[in-house]
Amino acid sequence: MRIYNKYVVSLAVVTCLITTILAFLGEQDITVYFTVSVIAYLVITLLYVYFNPRARRTLNTVGVVFFAGFLVVVAMKVVEILSG
Amino acid sequence: MSNPYRMLGLVLCLAGGTFAPISYFAIGSVPFTALGLSAIMVGFTCIVLAGARSPVSPEACELMLKTGMQNTAALLEELELRGKAVYLPSTITGGSPRALIPLADNQDILHIRGKIPARLIVRYGSDPGDMAISVTTVGSMNIDLLETRPGPTSGEIEAAAAYILTGVLDIATSVAVRLTDSTVDVEVKGSRLHYEDVWYYRCLGSPIASIVAAISSEALGRPVRIKDEDYSKGKSRIALEVLSS
Repeated sequence: MRIYNKYVVSLAVVTCLITTILAFLGEQDITVYFTVSVIAYLVITLLYVYFNPRARRTLNTVGVVFFAGFLVVVAMKVVEILSG
Repeated sequence: MSNPYRMLGLVLCLAGGTFAPISYFAIGSVPFTALGLSAIMVGFTCIVLAGARSPVSPEACELMLKTGMQNTAALLEELELRGKAVYLPSTITGGSPRALIPLADNQDILHIRGKIPARLIVRYGSDPGDMAISVTTVGSMNIDLLETRPGPTSGEIEAAAAYILTGVLDIATSVAVRLTDSTVDVEVKGSRLHYEDVWYYRCLGSPIASIVAAISSEALGRPVRIKDEDYSKGKSRIALEVLSS
């Protein structure tokens, strides 16, 4: 299970790094943290191309769920900008 | 609950689910809320990943692998077969890839004539002595796990071998392939099934060499023989000889 361990550890490390960096930059919008974390998740999952087909399928499903959340955030921002 | 990923996922989701609302509503800290959300994301991924594991335990898989290998080893020892096996692609066998071991002593298979039937004792050439036993190996079975048949380049063979060895089976950390006209040199790092000097491995190669040989044979569409195999400093080096079909 070493490849799965590496994947989980890299996900945890990257999300922690993102949170730390954004906190140091003084970011106070929770949607920014969420959006950057979702993008990191999608990129890391894409980099692990050697997962078995079953794992790839399930992780793609999770990716779709996170991406839907990302779209909701984008839509909310668009509505916010349009409504002034 | 015995699956460690499910356990880790539940703990992370629970911790994140408690920490995020407290941070947001009670403490009023956005970074801590984001940390809670990240824990939920990683936890959810772990729970989903737990379902992707094989329902058969690694111990059961090892037991089945050893049983198959010991049966083939008993056959090889009983028939006193010492020749190196030749891995055949599915285009020659007409079905799943198989390996041929010559029945005659000190005889190497250099040419394969026609299709090889899916039987135990087969004829592979025009000479009456061109007889061999045809067996299914660990490598032969793994070809079915590939989504597409790899092409005849070192990059495609490497990608297919890495997919099987590191992704699907998780018995190595990386694979490097160097291809010339008649040889394929493979370096496998972090392999967990090493070469042993036993009869079965001398004939058919270690499970890792068998997998690499079957993939190379299938990719090149030509018979392949494991010429040499050694293990040192955490690396397995496998030299394959590509034969003419």
